Amino acid sequence: MSPRLLLRLHRIGLIAMAYFGIFYVLVNSAAFPLIAGKTRAAQEAFGHSVTVLGATFSWLLPLPIRPDTAAGYLQWRGYGFFAIIFAAWGVFSACGAVRRDEDRGLVESWLSTGVSRLRLLATRSMFFAVVSAGIVALTGGAGWLGCLIAGTPADVAGLVGESAALWALTLACFGLGLLVAQLVGEFRAAAAAGSALLVLMFLLDSIGRSSVHRGPLSGISVFFLFNQSNAVAPGGSFDPTATLLLFVVGAVATAAAGAAFVRRDLGSGLVRQPPRRATEVHDPSSNPLLRVPVARGLWIRRAGTLAWTVGMGVLAAAVVLLVNTTATFFATTPSLSPYLRGLAGDVHTVLLALIWLSFAQALVAILSITTVSRWSADDSSGVLEMQLAEPLPRWGVLVERATELTVTVTVMSFVAMAVILALAPAEGIGVDAGKLLIATALLIPFALTFAAVGALLAGWRPRVAVVVLSTVGVISYLVFELGPLFKWPKWADNLSVFQLYGTPLITPVFVGGLIAMLAIVVVGFGSAGVALARRDVAA
Amino acid sequence: MTSAIVMHGLTKDYGADHGLFDLDLEVAEGEVFGFLGPNGAGKTTTIRLLMGVIHASAGSATIFGLDCDRDSVAVKREVGYLPGELAQFGGMRGSEVVTYLGGMRGGIDTARVKELSERLELDLGRRFREYSRGNKQKLGLVLAFMHRPRLLILDEPTGGLDPLNQQTFHQLVGEVKVSGTTVFLSSHVLSEVEETCSRVGIIRGGRLVSDMTMDKVHELRFHEVTVEFSGDVPAAAVRAAAGVEDVAVDGARLTCTVHGGFDGLLAALSGHTVVDMVSREPSLESLFLSYYKQ
Repeated sequence: MSPRLLLRLHRIGLIAMAYFGIFYVLVNSAAFPLIAGKTRAAQEAFGHSVTVLGATFSWLLPLPIRPDTAAGYLQWRGYGFFAIIFAAWGVFSACGAVRRDEDRGLVESWLSTGVSRLRLLATRSMFFAVVSAGIVALTGGAGWLGCLIAGTPADVAGLVGESAALWALTLACFGLGLLVAQLVGEFRAAAAAGSALLVLMFLLDSIGRSSVHRGPLSGISVFFLFNQSNAVAPGGSFDPTATLLLFVVGAVATAAAGAAFVRRDLGSGLVRQPPRRATEVHDPSSNPLLRVPVARGLWIRRAGTLAWTVGMGVLAAAVVLLVNTTATFFATTPSLSPYLRGLAGDVHTVLLALIWLSFAQALVAILSITTVSRWSADDSSGVLEMQLAEPLPRWGVLVERATELTVTVTVMSFVAMAVILALAPAEGIGVDAGKLLIATALLIPFALTFAAVGALLAGWRPRVAVVVLSTVGVISYLVFELGPLFKWPKWADNLSVFQLYGTPLITPVFVGGLIAMLAIVVVGFGSAGVALARRDVAA
Repeated sequence: MTSAIVMHGLTKDYGADHGLFDLDLEVAEGEVFGFLGPNGAGKTTTIRLLMGVIHASAGSATIFGLDCDRDSVAVKREVGYLPGELAQFGGMRGSEVVTYLGGMRGGIDTARVKELSERLELDLGRRFREYSRGNKQKLGLVLAFMHRPRLLILDEPTGGLDPLNQQTFHQLVGEVKVSGTTVFLSSHVLSEVEETCSRVGIIRGGRLVSDMTMDKVHELRFHEVTVEFSGDVPAAAVRAAAGVEDVAVDGARLTCTVHGGFDGLLAALSGHTVVDMVSREPSLESLFLSYYKQ
């Protein structure tokens, strides 16, 4: 196993985490004076508001400490949130390292070279430990730089301690993911079990944090152990014992995963279902959907579409339920007015528009990027070659792909719209159903804009498509978020696809932006068709 | 007889002398053609050019008069294809893969699928990822044969199949041949080609080394002969005999190869006491190797 191959196998997680960690930390620390104000009084007022807001959000994040400082705000908004993201990264990376690589036959190949199972697992764990340390260190460095830009340098020792705790949490979750993945036989089952474990541990910590009496079980949560450190905030502390315990959890879980790996058969889990005595099947599937263009792809990916739809619906509900609290926070924090982009109208509606639609745009963009990733994978896995072995024109494959994505985005966006329409009146938020319908419909060209760029990249250079498209997405999002704060010129704002979408829930449709998106869709997919027709498949 | 496949100067240049170069080849309709060569010789490149999956650097290929590149969609209506490596269909069941790809073609002959999967002993109810290599290959064969195409293009079709299923495959090829189907199959196993094909092309280093009928291949055959004498060894007479080559003497034992008839050798041996004589017909594999030594 060469480090290069391992880097390749983990590349999507690494790229995503590097982008996310560095930019999220940098933005939340460097932009602190713009958010909180530049005078000490303004920052204290801001800190007070954040403390009030933090109490409401204590089920999600630990209570803020000195949020009137860039470092304190970074601790709350950055590292508090990172616990969830880095833990999920650890679990999913481990599940992929075990189940996905086994499905691909890589594990069997490696073992056939004489590498022992324990050594294989140890090598993967060591590799992940090294690269995750690098990502955590880069994130910490970005935080230090951000605080420096904000004019209030963070304590280096505190950042190092907090980074160590974050690294330990990531490794603990990687170890737990390795262990869970040994028990079941499929990636999806492993990812589901790992997610359930994370949610359980998060809830144990969350309930303990939000209620008066901490339950006896909350101490076993890795999130509880991580949250014992809050060393970035002024006056916070680093808990070496809790951090050490996280390392121990990771080591023990990895060792247990090793023992399970040695005992189980390759290609199956330690917990095996009893064999089914099913009769052999010799007929083709009678499912009519598999014969219908577009419907066949939607059927094959029905579980993923359902998960995206449910996720978006739940997020829409959460946003509606939190709008009132957030409105209070904004009302008491004048320095946050740039976030409202000068939009007139009821602050609740404006916040719903800004928060929900930016979440919806981000989710739809991520869906588009993962879809493009699948298109690229279809090329290397031979699926595209098999599709083209049938009498299908290459442009037909492209049209079917785009239509599938359109249907998926339509379903998930309109389900979320229905959730908002159902919940908003009860929360006293006025929503214009017509405008919400338009805003939801505009998510379709928005998604297709990303997909068109991705299709062009996948049709031209499938191996770099995801990396380049992710970069476009991240930069686009940053321009969208930072433009109003830093008062960038309008033309710079309009470079962002997110900006082209506009704010259709509270302002008229941005016709120029819509035309630009449609132009990108037409040119992108048209060029993608030409590129796909000209290039060699899977070469 | 009309041509099913015609290739003129077909070239795919990957640089550094890798690829396929100036391939001129015709396969007649109804013919079973074996395309032989070692790994990396250019067999799969040729097949992928025929399927329009990759584009030629120069030259052209047609199937039933249709350009493989320009008329790729029309070509595929006539073709059943087994790739060298089957796509990864993950958690889809075999039956779903059949319906999914059959749906793209516009229809499925359910009875044919049932017949093929029963004869190949393939359970279509299992998930693709659970299939062994042999079962994946069987699924690929079902997909290639299921719509009764006019032309079958098969890239190493028996890879991973057990001997019984190899036999079933040979029977299937025999049956479609009788019904007039053209078969173009690549292989590096000569015995397989010997069993099924009427003509072979041998490719090496991206260039066609030879194109001949199986009868011609059999004509090229030679015998390896070992003779033991009780007295003098007539080495000079044997070396001078017609059709005899590679003469070597080790004590009282003489070895040589004999091309064509044995008359020359027997004439050279007359008058000498032969205590043992063994003649072995080399396998097609040995014949194949002798081509590559040239």
